[in-house]
Amino acid sequence: MRSLLHAIVLCGLILAPVAWAQGVPDVTLQATQTAFAKIDILIGTLDVLSGGMPAVDSASLLETTIARDLEFSGLFRVGLLESQAARDSLNLEFAIRGQVEGPVRDAQQTGGDQPTTISLDLVTHAGGQLMLNKRYRPLPEQTTATAHHFANQVVEMLTGEPGIALTRVVFSRGSGDRRDLYAVDYDGENLLRLTANRTLNLCPAWKPDGSEIAFTSYNSGMQGLYSLATATGKVRKVIQQDGLNLGANWHPDGTEILVSLSRGGDPEIYRVAPDGEILRRLTAMQSIEISPCWDPAGRDLVFTSDRTGTPQLYIVDGDGAGRRRLTFEGRYNDSADWSPDGERIVYATRQDEYTQLVLIRATGEDRRLLTDARWRNCEDPSWAPDGRHIVFASDRNGTFKLYVMDVVEGDARQLTFGDEPDITPAWSRQ
Amino acid sequence: MGIGQNTRKMLTLLGMVALVAALALTTGCGGSDDADVETDPEAAMDGAGDAVETVPEPVTPEEPVEAVPAPDYSAMQPAEFGVEDIFFAFDQYDLDDIAMASLARDARILREHPEVIVLVEGHTDERGTVEYNLALGERRALAVRDYLVSLGVSTSRLRVTSYGESRPFALGSNETAWAKNRRAHFARP
Repeated sequence: MRSLLHAIVLCGLILAPVAWAQGVPDVTLQATQTAFAKIDILIGTLDVLSGGMPAVDSASLLETTIARDLEFSGLFRVGLLESQAARDSLNLEFAIRGQVEGPVRDAQQTGGDQPTTISLDLVTHAGGQLMLNKRYRPLPEQTTATAHHFANQVVEMLTGEPGIALTRVVFSRGSGDRRDLYAVDYDGENLLRLTANRTLNLCPAWKPDGSEIAFTSYNSGMQGLYSLATATGKVRKVIQQDGLNLGANWHPDGTEILVSLSRGGDPEIYRVAPDGEILRRLTAMQSIEISPCWDPAGRDLVFTSDRTGTPQLYIVDGDGAGRRRLTFEGRYNDSADWSPDGERIVYATRQDEYTQLVLIRATGEDRRLLTDARWRNCEDPSWAPDGRHIVFASDRNGTFKLYVMDVVEGDARQLTFGDEPDITPAWSRQ
Repeated sequence: MGIGQNTRKMLTLLGMVALVAALALTTGCGGSDDADVETDPEAAMDGAGDAVETVPEPVTPEEPVEAVPAPDYSAMQPAEFGVEDIFFAFDQYDLDDIAMASLARDARILREHPEVIVLVEGHTDERGTVEYNLALGERRALAVRDYLVSLGVSTSRLRVTSYGESRPFALGSNETAWAKNRRAHFARP
């Protein structure tokens, strides 16, 4: 509620001078409230200058991908040129137009794929004033990424927020003795399997620059923390101590990893170097200390401890000092993830018979449930870099699959499909 | 596995014999409702050895035992020679009377086969979070290991791991399935 008010106030600040100049403040106030931070934009039909059917297909792929990216951002209402009805319901402010110039000779004649020249413009809808122009020369398989890139540019220019159209989600899929890591684009495309080692692979964590994914895996029944290089797929061992080697979370600067190690006793939280050297132990209690997560500034971390008898969230600084308890409601709180702006924390709580998601300020105020019993169980929330969306696992349709929720508006879409359970998702930082 | 069908049957039979013997030892004093030494947690902890000495020798069929060579227990799953899994209440890792009685029998079997190394796996039901369940599963496995050590099983023979909710024994979102999945399972490492 507070973020909603915040957005309206922000809108008012931006539009107010215009309204005063026109002398119609009442009308403007109404318009800002109904528009509520959404920008109406038209996706035009791109002109195809050459390249035949492949270029026409590219143009179509660009249009639909950009439209979907802008809709998924939660910040736009998108009109497509062919839908008069949809356009009439919008108060269009901006438009996207452009040109596609495919190679004159196709791959069969040249013996290789030729790049397509793509020019994309963001213009004002009324006057056609150019606000942004981007030119690309992608190979055919790079067309989707080109659309994502341009969509990010549009989002950033018009909202100041980072676009998430090129981000990915890594997660664990499978059941029984085998669960493998998979990665998927933020829109559910390009599903890629990352491990095939016939054991359990769980709780992946992106290095902030995306070059590595740390995760927990089992070797002969024993847990270890491993890291997968995303460019090569090579896996190396980070650390394997007796007991749990769990819950990796990279420092925002990528130089070290938080992990829970039990070393034959209760799990405690440690800072370890990427080569597995233990740098510092942050907790020392006769209880379970797990699920650490740095704040985006890399100064404090939130984690789970059941030192009072029930798992609750606590915050300490990077030396393990200054401990304060974050959660007092609920008898089971875990899986905290700190928002990219540092303001909020999302976590899982047991509510009646199900596990539900909660949003709370890092100060402990404004606790708000994001899900209800219709979702059945919701687990392991992870923030998108835009601080607006989260990905999590829910068994609302019987099997745990991944869903993406806009925490501002509350609407959600299913990200992964199929019969096998998908759990422990993590959204990439870029 | 390298074990023939017949050998396997023999081993299973032998395991049954061992199990029967173990059961006979633990229940030999009388009815199971009696507060005998094995179901009293204090007594089981302090005087398991005494308890073995005070019960009468069970009548064990001798022929099959003498007819086969000593089996390689370390190549078998612990359940095949009578080591039984331990069950827990929801969100708990303490051992109740039934668990301690089971562990007393498990300890006796393990002491009889000092060459066997077992992996104590902690499991939970599906409720709750992946990570906390992994920690809870480890607590259950450690509770079992510590109790077995207190009953004279060498700690070096007991490896411990946790699978949390990842590897359920029974599927289903109901108490019947959940109860089966809240366990410490003995496996071959």
